[in-house]
Amino acid sequence: MADAREEGTAVSEPLDLVRLLLDEVVCVKLRGDRELKGRLHAYDSHCNLVLGDVEETIYVADDEDEENAKTVSRKSEMLFVRGDSVVLISPQARPF
Amino acid sequence: MSFFGFDNNRHNTAAAGFSQAHNPFAGLSSREDDGDALEFEETYDGLGNQLEETGDAFNDDTFGDTAIETKPVGKDFDFFGQTAQVANAIEEEHVRFHRQVPASRVSQPAAQYNTQAFPQQPTAGPSYGYASQASSHRPARTGYEKYSNEPVAELQVDAALWGVAPKKQPQPAPPASIPAAAPVPPPSRKFMSLEEVEAQMRAQSKKAAPSPAPQPAATLAGPSQPQVPPQTQYPGGSPFPQHVQPHVSAQAEHARKDQAFPPGHGHPVTILQRPQSKQAQAPSPQPPVQPAAHPRQQPSAPVPPMHILQNPNRPSGDAAGLGQHPIPPMPVAYPTHPHHRLQGSFSRQPQIITHPSQLTQLSEEEKSAYLEQEAKRAKRNHKIFLMSRDNGLMTPQDKSFITRIQLQQLVSATGNPNEHGTDESLAEDFYYQVHSQIQGGQRQNPNQPLNNFAQTYLFQTGSRQAGHRRHHRGPENHMQRMEQQVQRAVEAAKNKPKNKQLVIEGSLGKISFSNGKTPKPLLNIKRAEHTSEVPRPGSAHRHVSNIADRKSELRAIEAIYTTLMKMEDHDRTVPPPPASDDDTDAIQKFVAWNSEAQVLNDKLWTSLRIHAQQSDGQVHPFIALLSYSKGKKAMQRIFRHLTHEQRTTILTLVVVNLDGLDVVRNAQVTPEAVQLNAAMRENVELFSVAVMSTLFNFLNELDLDLVAGVLGLVSTRDVGVIAKSRIGASMLTMILSRAEIIKHGGGGSEQTWRDWDMTYTQFFGLLEPTLPHMFPGPVTSSDDTYVWQLLAALGIGAGPDQQQRLVLAVKDRVMDTVALSKTLPQDLAAQRLQNVNLFMRSIGLDVELLQ
Repeated sequence: MADAREEGTAVSEPLDLVRLLLDEVVCVKLRGDRELKGRLHAYDSHCNLVLGDVEETIYVADDEDEENAKTVSRKSEMLFVRGDSVVLISPQARPF
Repeated sequence: MSFFGFDNNRHNTAAAGFSQAHNPFAGLSSREDDGDALEFEETYDGLGNQLEETGDAFNDDTFGDTAIETKPVGKDFDFFGQTAQVANAIEEEHVRFHRQVPASRVSQPAAQYNTQAFPQQPTAGPSYGYASQASSHRPARTGYEKYSNEPVAELQVDAALWGVAPKKQPQPAPPASIPAAAPVPPPSRKFMSLEEVEAQMRAQSKKAAPSPAPQPAATLAGPSQPQVPPQTQYPGGSPFPQHVQPHVSAQAEHARKDQAFPPGHGHPVTILQRPQSKQAQAPSPQPPVQPAAHPRQQPSAPVPPMHILQNPNRPSGDAAGLGQHPIPPMPVAYPTHPHHRLQGSFSRQPQIITHPSQLTQLSEEEKSAYLEQEAKRAKRNHKIFLMSRDNGLMTPQDKSFITRIQLQQLVSATGNPNEHGTDESLAEDFYYQVHSQIQGGQRQNPNQPLNNFAQTYLFQTGSRQAGHRRHHRGPENHMQRMEQQVQRAVEAAKNKPKNKQLVIEGSLGKISFSNGKTPKPLLNIKRAEHTSEVPRPGSAHRHVSNIADRKSELRAIEAIYTTLMKMEDHDRTVPPPPASDDDTDAIQKFVAWNSEAQVLNDKLWTSLRIHAQQSDGQVHPFIALLSYSKGKKAMQRIFRHLTHEQRTTILTLVVVNLDGLDVVRNAQVTPEAVQLNAAMRENVELFSVAVMSTLFNFLNELDLDLVAGVLGLVSTRDVGVIAKSRIGASMLTMILSRAEIIKHGGGGSEQTWRDWDMTYTQFFGLLEPTLPHMFPGPVTSSDDTYVWQLLAALGIGAGPDQQQRLVLAVKDRVMDTVALSKTLPQDLAAQRLQNVNLFMRSIGLDVELLQ
């Protein structure tokens, strides 16, 4: 990390860290109890994201059985995520 | 006199309806002077709100009668003295009255207070002359009795607080009267004491009685004379003779009118508003309920009205009455009714001057002294006028309410010595309650010591013992207590834990205490040593890694891309090569462009970390970049901008680290059915597409010596591992086929071919044990094409001996595949056989021979 400056890509803003995740598999948490896992193709300053090979997981709270929240998941080849719903972006542990 | 002025003020400032409410109090105040001071306070109860405004219908009857009764009363009454004498009788009547009243109107609490505080009884008809006056007041009171009651109680409490009240009492009134006396002045706006008032009245009455007409006439202006006649006129039937009188005397015509009106209140108004009230009087509208107001005035009224009207002349009048000495009487008169002369005082001087008789009577000194006094008085009156402009803004209820609040605060602030309700004040304290709740939860045992905080800040008030102790302390101890508290706070600060930091379990860092010299570092995180390495499956040699590495790798890749984009941008601006040597400008541009390109190239090269130190057990930094998909993808673009030497270096590096590539190390095939996971397959696919093709293109430009050198490098590595991966096998195939292509092309020198053969032989020896195990999965798996390709490449370059060994090594696989192909559909079978045939033909055979 110390050599970050030498490499010319010092972190000057948070999104610089997101940049490191370009083309990497990321976990994105969204409002409305949703999570996305996919390859980050692009982003912008609004956290608008373009994800590839996305698996979307929706946590559905069940009124009767609150402890076991159901999850609904679906896959998309490519997804545009509007930034205002993004809660967090995290790098995913390498899957292999 | 002061009373009258009072009424005037009220009327002027307040609405008609309001004045009614007010007047009763004025009457009460007069009684207070008699020793019933308590009544005034009673007015604060807010009972006024409960008054039935509409119930005043009978007031006229009531008060009209009283007025008639009062008429005989002379001005020489001495309320103060007389009431004191009659006090006992009044008390008795009072009690009696109370028994009667409760049934009719008064509420219980009121009744109680009445018995205590009220010397006067409304119902009784006293036989004394003065008593009759008192009786006349009573009817008025009936409406307001409740007022009088409650304030008294409050005041008593207050008095107790200071404990001074009893001593100060100048009047015979009950102990409660003192507090009452204080509040009284504000409502009535009189500063005269009862004694003063009465003294004045007596003085006047003396004048009037002995020489009714002559004295006033001599000393006073017109207005003074009428005084006597009006009194006689009372019986005439006007309920408010006194008020009217002045007017009559001043102006006969007006007097008639005034009488016609119920002007009792109207006159006062005019007087205050206009100093020359005598001349032109516009009777102000009178409240319909005059009677209510009237009775109050009556006690004081007999004399005061005259004074008010006479105000301008009064000083002189007094002087005359007292034997023509203006100065001596003045002290008495001035203090008594300063307020009421507000404007009258201004008019006074001119009048005096206009009457030569007065002036002539006075000597020069006297005159000057008198004028001086007048000026002073005028000044004072003006001041008072200014101050009294806002009079009457607050109702007595308002005042008592505020007074109550102030007293409460005062008591709670100073700690009332007589107060027994300390716990109550604490009970009202929200913060104390909350704290005691919290504290109570932690501290079941009351004897348990308070915690640091409580000891510091709550010792006094927090504990019950302290609360009791407080009772024994006087309010003077507050400063002391505060000092003690401060002291305790300081001690607590000193005793604060000395350790510089606090480690909370589970937190990332330590919490440090700060002081002035060493400000607190917000986080004190120990830098993670490299011992905490996370197993990283991404690369063969990278058993361990850490996040820092990963981050730096990602950064390097980003730097590479950034540089790449700049370089590509730069490439687009390449200037045309200089046409001739003469075109210095073009040459310069070209040189500049080249140098810039060189800078970028260096930057890129640095970013690739080709020459970075490889630590033991770690993957080479550059190879690590290839474990990222974007690193792989970048390879093609990178090669475009690199020189031949740089490309060779990269190729060499890749080959040297071939068994270190994640796509080799982690994509080993085994005879058992092994399906690489999707991500790895994708990875391998990407590598072969992005990197292998790049390297293949580059390798195809290399000469044999370099190819042999590459093969030699491969031989230094774990050939078995390399061959058992698709990428590794492809790489080997690539190298071998390149050599074969060169051979077919007739390239290479004798020497290089000898070197190649030597290298090949060595390599073959290393590879031979692995040959049977290179195939991915059982024979049924279809994607073994690349293996056959490798075998073919091997077979072509192999000698007869080596071919023999080759056939022996893979014979089983060949036979199985041929057998399998017979069970497969035509297409698949043909495909499989074709793959096998690649190898077979390379060694001069054919699958069909086997069938």
